[in-house]
Amino acid sequence: MKRLDLQKLGQYAIVIVVAVTLNFALPRLMPGNPLALIAGVDVGLLTPEQRAQIIADVGLDEPIINQYADYWKSIVTGDLGQSYRSGRPINEMIAERLPWTLLLAGGALVLSSIFGIVLGAISAWRRGGKVDVPLLTGMIALQSLPSFWLGMLLISIFAVNLGVLPSFGAVSPAANLEGWAQVRDVLEHAVLPITTLSVLSTPGVYLTMRYSMLEVLGEDFIRTARSKGASERRILFGHVARNAIAPVITFLAIRFAFSFGGAVIIETVFSYPGLGRLVFEAVSGRDFPVMQAAFLVFTAAVLMANLTADLLYPVLDPRTRSS
Amino acid sequence: MDTVGLHRPMSPGLPSPHHNDQMLADETTDGLTRRSKRGTNSADRQLGTVTTSSALDRSAPATGPRPVLEVTDLYVKFGLPDRQVHAVTGATFQVGAGEIFALVGESGSGKSVTALSIMGLLQPPARVEGSIRLDGRELTTLKPRQLRSVRGREIGMVFQDPMSSLNPVHTVGKQIGESLRLHLDMNRSRARSRSIDLLGQVGIPDPRNRVDDYPHEFSGGMRQRAMIAIALACDPKVLIADEPTTALDVTVQRQIVELVLDLQRDRDMSVIWITHDLGVVAEIADRVAVMYGGRIMEEGPAGEIYGHTRHPYTSGLLRSIPRIERSTGSQLAEIPGTPVTITTSPTSCVFHARCPMEADDCQTSLPELVPTDRPDHRSACLHHAELEEAGELWSDVAAGTRRVGGDDRVIVRGSGLSVHFPGRRRSHSVVRAVDGVDLEVRAGRTLGVVGESGCGKTTLGRTLVGLIKPTTGSVEIAESGGRRVIQMVFQDPFSSMNPGMRIRDVIAEPIRILSLEVSDLDARVAELLEMVGLPADAAGRHPHEFSGGQRQRIAIARALAAEPEVIVCDEPVSALDVSVQAQIINLLRDLQDGSGLAFVFIAHDLAVVRHISDEVAVMYLGLIVERATRDDLYSSPLHPYTKALLDSVPVPDPDHVRSSEPLHGDLPSPSAPPAGCRFHTRCPIAVPGMCDTDVPRLRPVAAHRWVACHLVDPDSPHIRQPQGGERQ
Repeated sequence: MKRLDLQKLGQYAIVIVVAVTLNFALPRLMPGNPLALIAGVDVGLLTPEQRAQIIADVGLDEPIINQYADYWKSIVTGDLGQSYRSGRPINEMIAERLPWTLLLAGGALVLSSIFGIVLGAISAWRRGGKVDVPLLTGMIALQSLPSFWLGMLLISIFAVNLGVLPSFGAVSPAANLEGWAQVRDVLEHAVLPITTLSVLSTPGVYLTMRYSMLEVLGEDFIRTARSKGASERRILFGHVARNAIAPVITFLAIRFAFSFGGAVIIETVFSYPGLGRLVFEAVSGRDFPVMQAAFLVFTAAVLMANLTADLLYPVLDPRTRSS
Repeated sequence: MDTVGLHRPMSPGLPSPHHNDQMLADETTDGLTRRSKRGTNSADRQLGTVTTSSALDRSAPATGPRPVLEVTDLYVKFGLPDRQVHAVTGATFQVGAGEIFALVGESGSGKSVTALSIMGLLQPPARVEGSIRLDGRELTTLKPRQLRSVRGREIGMVFQDPMSSLNPVHTVGKQIGESLRLHLDMNRSRARSRSIDLLGQVGIPDPRNRVDDYPHEFSGGMRQRAMIAIALACDPKVLIADEPTTALDVTVQRQIVELVLDLQRDRDMSVIWITHDLGVVAEIADRVAVMYGGRIMEEGPAGEIYGHTRHPYTSGLLRSIPRIERSTGSQLAEIPGTPVTITTSPTSCVFHARCPMEADDCQTSLPELVPTDRPDHRSACLHHAELEEAGELWSDVAAGTRRVGGDDRVIVRGSGLSVHFPGRRRSHSVVRAVDGVDLEVRAGRTLGVVGESGCGKTTLGRTLVGLIKPTTGSVEIAESGGRRVIQMVFQDPFSSMNPGMRIRDVIAEPIRILSLEVSDLDARVAELLEMVGLPADAAGRHPHEFSGGQRQRIAIARALAAEPEVIVCDEPVSALDVSVQAQIINLLRDLQDGSGLAFVFIAHDLAVVRHISDEVAVMYLGLIVERATRDDLYSSPLHPYTKALLDSVPVPDPDHVRSSEPLHGDLPSPSAPPAGCRFHTRCPIAVPGMCDTDVPRLRPVAAHRWVACHLVDPDSPHIRQPQGGERQ
């Protein structure tokens, strides 16, 4: 892989700076005394000395520019501070939660790209046919489903009525399973949230793929391939697919990052101990350092996903390779 | 392909294919005309055509080329939701072995649809009826698998736009190899080495290295060569070329024409060349069929079609195109109206509404393609016999002398103009689109700007109107009545107009923007519409309700609304059909006649520029290489590039002889122009040590005449003899 475009790297750097700055500014822009955010409802009971102490502890008495520099320092050194609520190091909390979110988002990414791309390709290939029309209608309907509703529906069917799958958590509590039994347990818990996320992601992938395929099918070079005597299958795999997939990759990258945010709702519905749930807890507990850290992770996820798409593009399309 | 079972269901009332016998008889002569055409000497060719065809007229048995492809009573319908389009209705023709057969027509004439139905490439909602035989084998009833073994193997096809016709994600070599592997069962390495051979045969330099390039790394001309290599990979019997040179520059067009002629001679294959350009047809074709409204109007040997035209449509086409070799004193003949779309089974001549010879029977009966008084020449005009006595059908409209209005003052002056764009990402190069241009436009005159694509002419035009800020230099526009007004008319009449606005608002917009004092806006719009030849009720309609030519009229009306002193027209007719082009060119001339309005007319078509310009500037890679009055430039071009450009223009006359070799190579990249004279890399007379090191300045060589060439003598304008070089 050739070295990345300097311009591109510059763009990423700008995004990071803007995101970090926003992250820094947000709690400070919120209405109300920061003290109230830190100490919560107890703020009225504190003595002036205690207040000064708290403010000095978290560095809020420093000039704003120093606070900003400190924030950068903490990010660069990887020390995200401590939770106001639990007092635990945030690094630890994130490390605990991130894998679960990655499992959900990654699982949903794989499933939705497989279903979306395959169904989208079939739909476009037989445009207006017996498969395409119901599929297209169904996908548009699915796309408009609210995620919490779908999650609750699945819980009520599979966990409550049928009782075949667990409805909350990532592992069975206090089961102390090992080996395959543990894997199985984790997967059982992940099935419903992943399904919910996948169902919500698939229509977008499908629509992007279908549209992209239709675009490519109308290209002159498809006619050239036909005029060479290539079979339909050969045209589909040799000429259409690779050209059509590039926009889908971009979509998947955005979608993957979006799943992180979407996880807030899904993980709450399924009481899943991921990053989204952490955000939910932090928001309800006004635990600002945790929220800031979680947002930072979201930003990083978005950037990583975009970077991957940027790196994949030249592989798929020689025109985007820098010579 | 939805053709199975639809084979030849003749609808009642439609004529039966009675001309088959005639076609066989015709075949006897066409081999001889063909062979005569192969001579490069025109006298030779003409002799052959006349003597042999009259001697053998319908007598001897078929000694000519056996027909390779026979199309009989071809009907193609498109069942659209709201209507049926009869794209082809009853086309019958044959293509002989080793013959170059041209299908000529405007857009919508059915020529491309005919080609696609031969290839079996039409898909529903298209329905193909009739018979298409290749070497006696019926193609319309073949199963998809059998049809695929014909495509690419026995018939190869080349399309108009080589960039979009090549798959951008596969190497050129892989795309050529695909045909070989499909039909000749070659393995990867054999296909690759054969692809290298083929690239060499179509004139790609260094094919061993270029075989692994992607299409975007090729120039336009090279891409079309690669397309030809793909089409010819399996040595097909027939090559179908659908507008193969339309997207290319004239100099490259000429290279491609010569290449196809060479390849055709070597392989003795048949070629169907589809084009709207009667110039290219005259250059390449043995036989010509002229199509209009889905029907063949006239068919015969090329010399016959041009020399003894037997259909009013063909004669109209020939009269309406600006000719580089004829006088420019008159207006172009116009074919009124626009090309038709046939939506019901035709029962009358499809051309009658636009025909100057229209008689009552033209509306009541459908003319068949029948033999004429000329040998081997058929016409679908009921009155073809009267055509010769009818004299000039397409009379010159208002052939009076042009009055030059205005007072000769300079309205626009560009000095030292250059426009540099940032190059591709990461490279620090700049694209020198315009690189030091001086020009002036005088009141009531037209300055033509010509050059190949990429020479910077469009950028220059946009800089003049202020759409692009020049990197250096300045544009001065003379003030008149307290205002400086310059307007522009763009190439594409479809995308250069807001589809959501009514015509009234499109035209009134400049009036509003400039706060012009107009007492009655509607009356002013109506007046402007009348000036461009449109009815006043057009004001209430939307752009999509108009044809390309009408929209270009609206664009002109919009420019006129600003009461400009100069209008920059950027390729205003190149998106239009041949018969409509003449209308717009005449309109522009009329608007200028006697008024002080000046034009900058930017175009790649040298014949069109000649017809409309008073002065012409020739651009090459961002520079003006020659500037002269129209007549001087066209009658005695001085710069070798001007000469080459003029010589590349196809002349619609099969007897026209080329005077020199075509220009080699492509336009170099404007981000890295060659040192010295920018043209030296392609110049036939470049002198090493001078032309490749010293930059020639644009010097005056005579009154109103400037040339940028070391080899032009400033005292007596002609090209100096380079040492040992050939005479120009």
